[in-house]
Amino acid sequence: MFKNEEMEINLGPQHPSTHGVLRVKLRLDGETVTHCTPVIGYLHRGVEKICENKTYFQGQVWTDRMDYVASISNNLGWAEGVEKLFGIEVPRRAKYIRTMLTEQNRLASHLLWLATHALDIGAMTVFLYAFREREYLLDLFEAFCGARLTTTAFRIGGLREDLPPGFIKKAQAFQDLFLDCVDEYETLLTENRIWKKRTIGVAKLNAEDCIALGVTGPVLRAAGVPYDIRKAFPNAAYAEMDFEIPTRTEADTYARYLVRLAEMRQSHRIIQQCIDGLPEGPVMAKIPKILKSEVNEVYHPIEAPKGELGYYFVGEKGGLNPYRMHVRAPSFVNLQALPKMIEGRLLADVIAAIGTLDVVLGEIDR
Amino acid sequence: MSMLRTLIPFDIAGGMALTGKYFGKVFFSANRKKIRTQLKHFTQEYPEVKVNLAPRYRGRLTLLKDEQGEIKCVCCLACEKICPTEVITIEKGKKEGRKMPFPVRYDFEMERCIFCEFCVESCGFDSIILNHQFELATYNREDFSIGMEGAGQNMFIPSPVGRHSVAED
Amino acid sequence: MPTQAIPMTLTQTLIMGVIQILAVLIVIFIIVPLTTFAERKVIGYIQVRLGATRLAGGHVGITGPMNRIMWGMGKVPMLSILRGLPIFIADALKLITKEDIIPAKADRGVFTLAPIISVMAAFGVFACVAYYPGVMFYMPKSWPVIGGLPFQGFITDVNVGLLFILGLASVGVYGIVLGAWASNSKYPLLGSLRSAAQIVSYEVPLTLSLLVPVLLSGSLSFKDMSVALSTGKDLNPLAIIPLFIGFFVYLTCGFAETNRVPFDLAEAETELVAGFHTEYSGMKFGFFYLAEYANMIVVSSLATAFFLGGHYLLPFGLQRFIPATMPIIGGPSFFFFFAKILCILFVFLWVRATLPRYRYDQLMDVGWKYLIPLTLVNLFLAAIIRFAF
Repeated sequence: MFKNEEMEINLGPQHPSTHGVLRVKLRLDGETVTHCTPVIGYLHRGVEKICENKTYFQGQVWTDRMDYVASISNNLGWAEGVEKLFGIEVPRRAKYIRTMLTEQNRLASHLLWLATHALDIGAMTVFLYAFREREYLLDLFEAFCGARLTTTAFRIGGLREDLPPGFIKKAQAFQDLFLDCVDEYETLLTENRIWKKRTIGVAKLNAEDCIALGVTGPVLRAAGVPYDIRKAFPNAAYAEMDFEIPTRTEADTYARYLVRLAEMRQSHRIIQQCIDGLPEGPVMAKIPKILKSEVNEVYHPIEAPKGELGYYFVGEKGGLNPYRMHVRAPSFVNLQALPKMIEGRLLADVIAAIGTLDVVLGEIDR
Repeated sequence: MSMLRTLIPFDIAGGMALTGKYFGKVFFSANRKKIRTQLKHFTQEYPEVKVNLAPRYRGRLTLLKDEQGEIKCVCCLACEKICPTEVITIEKGKKEGRKMPFPVRYDFEMERCIFCEFCVESCGFDSIILNHQFELATYNREDFSIGMEGAGQNMFIPSPVGRHSVAED
Repeated sequence: MPTQAIPMTLTQTLIMGVIQILAVLIVIFIIVPLTTFAERKVIGYIQVRLGATRLAGGHVGITGPMNRIMWGMGKVPMLSILRGLPIFIADALKLITKEDIIPAKADRGVFTLAPIISVMAAFGVFACVAYYPGVMFYMPKSWPVIGGLPFQGFITDVNVGLLFILGLASVGVYGIVLGAWASNSKYPLLGSLRSAAQIVSYEVPLTLSLLVPVLLSGSLSFKDMSVALSTGKDLNPLAIIPLFIGFFVYLTCGFAETNRVPFDLAEAETELVAGFHTEYSGMKFGFFYLAEYANMIVVSSLATAFFLGGHYLLPFGLQRFIPATMPIIGGPSFFFFFAKILCILFVFLWVRATLPRYRYDQLMDVGWKYLIPLTLVNLFLAAIIRFAF
């Protein structure tokens, strides 16, 4: 008579806090999650296959549409990967500008993460404060390349155009106010008892599990592993920059929150160095009008805001297109950790865990 | 001390003070002129107040004419080739009294356009630009197919500035 | 205070009763929509944006030409604070005219009954809330049946008014639980279970914190309690300590009772989509909405009457330091009461904009491990102050 039944519930694909079209099948015992299966693919567009049928120039526009909140990072990975494939050396000024824009984009991405994560946990004001600063950054992107979200910012061999007049001044104005804004978020969240209760000890994933699951980015660094591709395999102008890799050892949601906030401060530092030390010179290397590859393969990782974003190209002889192109998308790999994080915990923690992984479905489904 | 901190919510009071500060600031500045500083509200009253667009803003594709009113395009097909989404279709033709080839048809499928500006970049004759129009919605699907003729949006509206936008420069 | 001074016939009593009920209902039906408007505006301002602006502040109306000129100059129109005001009418119209969907697998009877229970419980409470302890004004002598009769600041004065209020307020949770169960859907079910557990556990500290004023005033009648506590004539000066602590505990529990942030687990938007009213639409949803805001007003009224000095100026019984002969601030006024209610409603919105949401188990922790011990200690303190000094 007293049957003990578990309830199966679909979180998503239309749900306020699954950050897109993620569907998580949950089996609930009361409010406790006993089993969790993320279901993906609702946003699949076949980006990799499309890129194999487009030239190396054209493929970049598809990378904008993978991680659409950090499209400049994706552009950087694509451009540098292709440059590695063809052995093109980029002028130093272009490298600096790329670094600066990528870091600004990291700020924009982290701000969006903070906004949505806080909103998921219920602090709705942080959402708009973070979007206010993101608006500045999007204006900067618009000034540089003419689009706010799908930027297509870089070109193979450098940049299409130099910085527009007044860009440095606007970027510096943003630099001047940004640290105070981070302090504001911290006032609202860091010491707040409800925020602490909702995040400390929630969705733990220790270093061994992170490495076993291939998790990278702030989630890995919050588990105490100081792995950052900007330091490990420096690309762009990161080798010339002076910055630290913030790490924590608690490996929970709160630690990831602190790590990302510290990363925002470090990004701010890198942007400042780029602005101060911006070299003069051309922004575009001499490259042939048509790129024809040799038989070659290249894997190029960069540190995207979500983790290690890798582009893998296989070139065929005389090919205008990559023979094979693959993206190691950080969100996709990080999402694997979701069941490990939340099984045996409460329903509200699922929301916190999805938020703390910082997944973008455009990148997962590609 | 930690007991006292548990009982008296200083942390919550700090957050409340911050939001209260912003409430006061916006409440007393809501009627005044909007300045983009931290002190004021950030609402852009878009249809009434025009939007500031950067000079490099990428809007709708526009075919340019030169001073004599001639179409600048010489049908080199560079834009057609580079377009990642294949939205441009050009038909080459001849025109009386013109040495260069003349586009008989220049079709542009706006619904598929992703506004990447590769076409403008590839054009060696500066004959196309992306203007600053961003209010591109229409009621019919057919209206997205823009050609050289046509009543609605045709390729020759060279307005660099949209109806509700202002270029910064 | 001459409350029962004039003998009334049955007819007169009935008519006056209906008039007073209508007066209270009209006030509620004005305050509730205005609160929803204020919610948009206050949260908007806190979040450095303008809130609702599209109605009555645009192109049409008296201010239209002026607004257009100001927009032309790149400025924001004057009277920004009041722009968007008619949105509460629009909200109500939308709710009334919207299609009322009942899910196919829902229990139709209970599904319809639930919002009615909620709204009845929320409105019934107002029967015992005293906005003014006595006669507000007398009906004009020239009026037919009711000429010269007193219009009191409360509908009725039950001698166990507080018990009535607490009892009826906790009936409201049945509306939530039944509605969610009847909609035969998963998210509402989770929301309703949370809500039931939450309200059952927070009834205890809520009642315990309200026992402090009961103990200090020695009465259960809403009117007598508020008079005794606000004038503070018979209060021990030390009574301010338990009243002060009790106020914050009561307000916290009040947030929980009304399902507001940070305790809005029952509807936790980002977790349960819309919680218990996920399947509701149209005016049935409107009733839940109305009940929530009416409950907020009840909580504000109780806090005002018992802790913040009711219809007198100063809170926590500090009014005794102002001589009753002072022109305005010395005496009772309905406006003091009203202003304090508005202040607490503002705090509701302010907190909603600032704080994150508790998790279900943490909510229980806060209720049972912090608030109940705190209220017990506070009650003990009040008892000592009442009887030992």
